[in-house]
Amino acid sequence: MTTATSGSADLTRVVAPEEASSGTYDVVIVGAGIAASIVAHELSKEQGFRTLIIEAGPGHVMSQEGYQGLLETFYSAIDKDNNAPYVKNPNAEMPRSSLLKQLAPGETNPNAYWVQFGPYVSDSSYSRVLGGTTMHWEGKTIRMLRPDFEMRKRYGHGLDWPIDLDVLMPYYRRAEWEIGVSGEVSSQRAIGAEFEKDYVYPMHEMPPSYLDEVVGKDFNGMKIRLDDDEYELNLSTFPQGRNGVPNEAYKRWNDKKLFEPVGSVTFHQAEEGERCQGNTNCVPICPVQAKYDARKTLAKAVMTGRVDVLPQAVASQVHFDKENGAVKEITVKVYQDRDRSDHRSFTVRGKIFILAANAVETARLLLESALRGNLKLNERIGQHLMDHPYLLAWALMRKNGGVGRGPLVTSGICNLRNGSFRRKQAAFAVDIHNDGWGWVDGSPVSKLMDAVDNLNKYGPALRQELVNRISRQLLLAFMVEMPAERTNCVTVDPAYPDALGNLRPKIKLDVPDYSMAGIEYARNLSRLVFQRIGAEDFTSYDPQNYGYRTYNGQGYEIRGGNHLAGTHIMGTSSADSVVDSYQKSWEHPNLYLIGAGSMPTIGTSNTTLTITALCMRSAEAIIKDLKQYPAEIRSGGK
Amino acid sequence: MSHLQTAIQVEHATIPPYLTALYSIKSDPQKSNLASYNIIRAVLVEEMAHLTLAGNLLNAVGGSPDLTRSDFVPDYPAYLPTGETDFEVGLEGFSPSAIESFLKIERPTPPTADSVVELEGVAYVKHESLAAGRKQGRGLLPHFNPKGDKGNDVLHYWSIGEFYKAIAAGFKRLADRLTEKKLFKGDAARQIGPEYYYSAGGGIFKVTNLDTALQAIDFISGQGEGSFGRIYDDGGELSHYYRFDQIRQQRYYRVGSDQPDQPTGAPLDVYWDEVYPIRPNLKVSSLRPGSELYRAARDFNELYRAFLHRIQDALNGKPAEFMPAVADMFRIKEAALRLIHNPLPTGEGNASPTFEMNYINGTSA
Repeated sequence: MTTATSGSADLTRVVAPEEASSGTYDVVIVGAGIAASIVAHELSKEQGFRTLIIEAGPGHVMSQEGYQGLLETFYSAIDKDNNAPYVKNPNAEMPRSSLLKQLAPGETNPNAYWVQFGPYVSDSSYSRVLGGTTMHWEGKTIRMLRPDFEMRKRYGHGLDWPIDLDVLMPYYRRAEWEIGVSGEVSSQRAIGAEFEKDYVYPMHEMPPSYLDEVVGKDFNGMKIRLDDDEYELNLSTFPQGRNGVPNEAYKRWNDKKLFEPVGSVTFHQAEEGERCQGNTNCVPICPVQAKYDARKTLAKAVMTGRVDVLPQAVASQVHFDKENGAVKEITVKVYQDRDRSDHRSFTVRGKIFILAANAVETARLLLESALRGNLKLNERIGQHLMDHPYLLAWALMRKNGGVGRGPLVTSGICNLRNGSFRRKQAAFAVDIHNDGWGWVDGSPVSKLMDAVDNLNKYGPALRQELVNRISRQLLLAFMVEMPAERTNCVTVDPAYPDALGNLRPKIKLDVPDYSMAGIEYARNLSRLVFQRIGAEDFTSYDPQNYGYRTYNGQGYEIRGGNHLAGTHIMGTSSADSVVDSYQKSWEHPNLYLIGAGSMPTIGTSNTTLTITALCMRSAEAIIKDLKQYPAEIRSGGK
Repeated sequence: MSHLQTAIQVEHATIPPYLTALYSIKSDPQKSNLASYNIIRAVLVEEMAHLTLAGNLLNAVGGSPDLTRSDFVPDYPAYLPTGETDFEVGLEGFSPSAIESFLKIERPTPPTADSVVELEGVAYVKHESLAAGRKQGRGLLPHFNPKGDKGNDVLHYWSIGEFYKAIAAGFKRLADRLTEKKLFKGDAARQIGPEYYYSAGGGIFKVTNLDTALQAIDFISGQGEGSFGRIYDDGGELSHYYRFDQIRQQRYYRVGSDQPDQPTGAPLDVYWDEVYPIRPNLKVSSLRPGSELYRAARDFNELYRAFLHRIQDALNGKPAEFMPAVADMFRIKEAALRLIHNPLPTGEGNASPTFEMNYINGTSA
């Protein structure tokens, strides 16, 4: 066991594979993202439970130096995609949008990690590193709305949850404490989100950016008619997992104490990250760690000494007991060097097994296990794959909006997250991007290169050109709801292995017409918004783009939302779902499948906050399960 | 009250040296001094919290912190007392000698010499017992003539630690004499709470009575020197002295088990060469008027002066001014780097901020 690497001490209690394999653990968790970290942390509060975390990526990022290394990798990367801070790792690869290209129908791209066939290609991604996809998330922490939990019953689309909002309410509150949310409850209530009486977020909202003010001045109060209802549109701030100014009124929800923002993950007093500095670099990685990531929770768990982490270990097969269906053990492939595929296989054992490798990887692991073990598992595993398709619309404003200030997004339009129109078309939430057109064309770097190389500008003329072309940029990003369909799915195919011989996920993720109807409406709304604020519309969609898709004779470029969900949905019985509302498998008595994969709908909420709430609830069920084992064979903590 | 104003000045006096050393560090990812950078940065942030707490103390008793008076920023090298002698604190780049002087700033100095005069549990030195350097009166701490049987001797504080002890004793005495209610007559709205100031090892708090006043004094002196013979405080924080000691010894202390001066944690890499070779204690007067460096040096001073004015406002009833002060700090960093990255035409190394508040653009002394 080591607790320190070179440089500053690393918080990770990294175990050798031999030790992990021979150790007796109460719980084995596959994955070290937010779902795993939440459960590991809840378990570590209890005396006597030992947890092993299996992580596919490298382990040494739980120190100031380790994090600095990620920043340096990001700074020096040419393609700054969502996974740019994470060096290419063929042994545990991840989707990278920079490697995608347009595909002909039936064609596949051998350079991409996901096996997808043309014509439509999703550029959705996740990170297979310690901390999971919170290592590149933007940080929005939006509660789901009450109708989101009963979409089938209310609107005839998607699925219903086996639980309602009231069940999740107390867990949402705890999740907002754990993540450290800055936000304004009254503006969330105004768009239909629900909270306990007198509740406030731990910290005040991120102040709206200057850009928000410039846009809001002309935009606010815009009225539209949709499905016979009138809606007034106004900008409102998003709640975010990003450190702001603690709210005095939160004391009543926090043992009478002011909320203490959690800064950078380090063993030493770094005094950094307790406030957002507005570097506008939230995705993929905050330079000062003011944005929450799962390492902050994992650090608390490993500090108890009751949680071990086995890094560079890719779970490759789950073994089941033929009699009762219980998980017996999991095979993991441990590699030394990410550029070399030689590895050793070990088995790890526990009383309870938790798969928390994200919606795609958890399904992938189970499907591969079924294939190799010649087993018939629940037929819904891998099905109902969801994401949030994004439509971008961009324009130049008449006035300088001061692009490049503040976190990536501070405000948006959230008045169309629910309404009777959801019988016909998808709901959406809209972001106003403080980084201008970055998502569309790589601004500001691309504009700078163009001004220097092609327009031959320098000195004051160059400065003026950049102000003209960057500071007036406006980007609206529409995050559109997507209902679950069984045909959208993860499968595996022995023809497509990765470097370690594990099967890569084969993805089918088509955007349903219901969402396309929402996208069509979104594009029309963007025109009205630009018109109202007097901005010049520059939006155009390239038929050569891999995400190009047509609907009603119009073409759109559709971006992935990185909110992958729904491959092991929860429901009321094994006849309609894979897990129960505690995310426990119907068929396997000691197996939990946790994360966004359990969600039957994702509405118009980024998934992380709901994952956190669900996993806090699951942790209670897991602890209850563990306590049913005879006390004498329970192993003690260190 | 004048002691509390001095406390604010003394806390501030450490900031320019720490800032100068911090920004002299190059950012080479291969030979990275990031560990040292983080240590100095964290101490710096805590010194600013001490300054704010000292402001709270002064506001609590109805005073008005003054960060804009002409002698507020010392003329570097400045002198701080330790016993009969004092030591020089200058503006220099990250180097073994800079770390030695930082260690001296934060070092606990037990008053053990024969020349100690004790008054209310505070150690002083008689003026005649001072070493020559200290006698010249360049120090930052006040001296005074005690009343009564100590006669006409001029007494000097043994060290900064003793100075804070005297402040604590003064608070206790005055609370006793005037009652707490009358002593803590300051407007509570002028107090800076944790919502405005962060990153300070537990945050800062409002001073409204004797308890919180003594707590504040304890926090300021404890975070620097630590308790004697212990390297970590009750909250698991390493004191400033031992944090700098990690740079000197190029090794981290391990929580819980390590003894003073014997760190056994992970190695801490230090690259003394990965530093801009700045000329120590540069003055504007040594730069050619009208040159780019001359203008940059005065620009820096102007920004720093504006920053002090902003903090002055924040500590005088406008706490919200702390918010724009954060943006000021980014500008100060950029202005400092503009100097530090550029060589002096004389070949004496690189330029650096002079922190001369009388040398700004528009006017000169």
